[in-house]
Amino acid sequence: MNSRLTSSWVTARVQFVLAAIFVVAGFGKILDPPGFAHEIYNYKLLPGVAVNALAIVLPWIELVAGFALFVGVARRSAARIFGVLLIVFVIALSVNLVRGRPVDCGCFGGPKVPKTDVQRLGDMKIAIVRDLGMLLLVWQVLAAVRREERDRR
Amino acid sequence: MRRDSSWRDAVGIVVVAVVAAAVSNALAGPERKLHWIGSYSSAVPAAPATVVPTPSPGAAAAAVTPAAGDEAGKAFAPHPNKAWVEISGEDVAALYARGNILFLDARRTSVYRAGHIAGARSISIWEADADDKVKALFSEGRDQSAPIVVYCSGGDCEDSHHLGEKLYFVGFDNVLVYKDGFPDWEKRGLAVKKGDAP
Repeated sequence: MNSRLTSSWVTARVQFVLAAIFVVAGFGKILDPPGFAHEIYNYKLLPGVAVNALAIVLPWIELVAGFALFVGVARRSAARIFGVLLIVFVIALSVNLVRGRPVDCGCFGGPKVPKTDVQRLGDMKIAIVRDLGMLLLVWQVLAAVRREERDRR
Repeated sequence: MRRDSSWRDAVGIVVVAVVAAAVSNALAGPERKLHWIGSYSSAVPAAPATVVPTPSPGAAAAAVTPAAGDEAGKAFAPHPNKAWVEISGEDVAALYARGNILFLDARRTSVYRAGHIAGARSISIWEADADDKVKALFSEGRDQSAPIVVYCSGGDCEDSHHLGEKLYFVGFDNVLVYKDGFPDWEKRGLAVKKGDAP
């Protein structure tokens, strides 16, 4: 990989951006767990009994992992967690797009204003592209951590 | 070894998150609190449920007869084999005009506060006290065969259907779901009230 892409200058900024996005996303959901439970339910991918537990815990995982990445602790683990979450988000959105079922992403908490189905479907596509872009950032962090470890040896 | 340490850190992050989530949820007020185990059905059926409920003392009551001058002129009979049935805005307006029909708002409390059908009570199914409110309603000793109109935001909103199921399973067998919900009510220019009080 191009060493410029894994330079400490780039990595510090990528880590900051990733951490900030997940901290903001987690905090938005923590403010309103019932609203997030509603969003998860609307995806129609989980049994009803599992919806609340996920709505309670997932935002905190985003927040704690985001904070860890921000302060530079357990960076590889935090980045891996983000990678897994982003893949799950992309799959959940894609399944509902294929079903033709418009859902509010719920990525940063509930929508502030009601949306039409067409707006929701458009937003779902944007969210998938955004999540794929964030997966590239995760990949950069993992590559940079790997390179730093190699350089230390 | 390094790989093991990385996975151990990941587990540590998840454990810290679970503990923080548990503390946050335990300290949350009723509008933010969630029960860890959800009590929602996985999917609301397209057609009303056909489960036969446990017979209740009031279940044998006669069908509700519309009051004189009721424009709809319909009787909303109990439906003990269905958790809920959907009704139109015209029917809802006619029931509201009777003045003695219980209306329940299944949306979030904050949304209820911003505007609800005048006289409707709030039971948000996404908030932790929903089951307690349903039980309290049952404890009021209401006629379980009398119509209860439940509503949410219309469209693909299923909150009113979920509330209908909860009411059905405690013994109410005449739950009517306002299909087009509060947006339709507002469109009709009918009575709306803001704030916590019905």
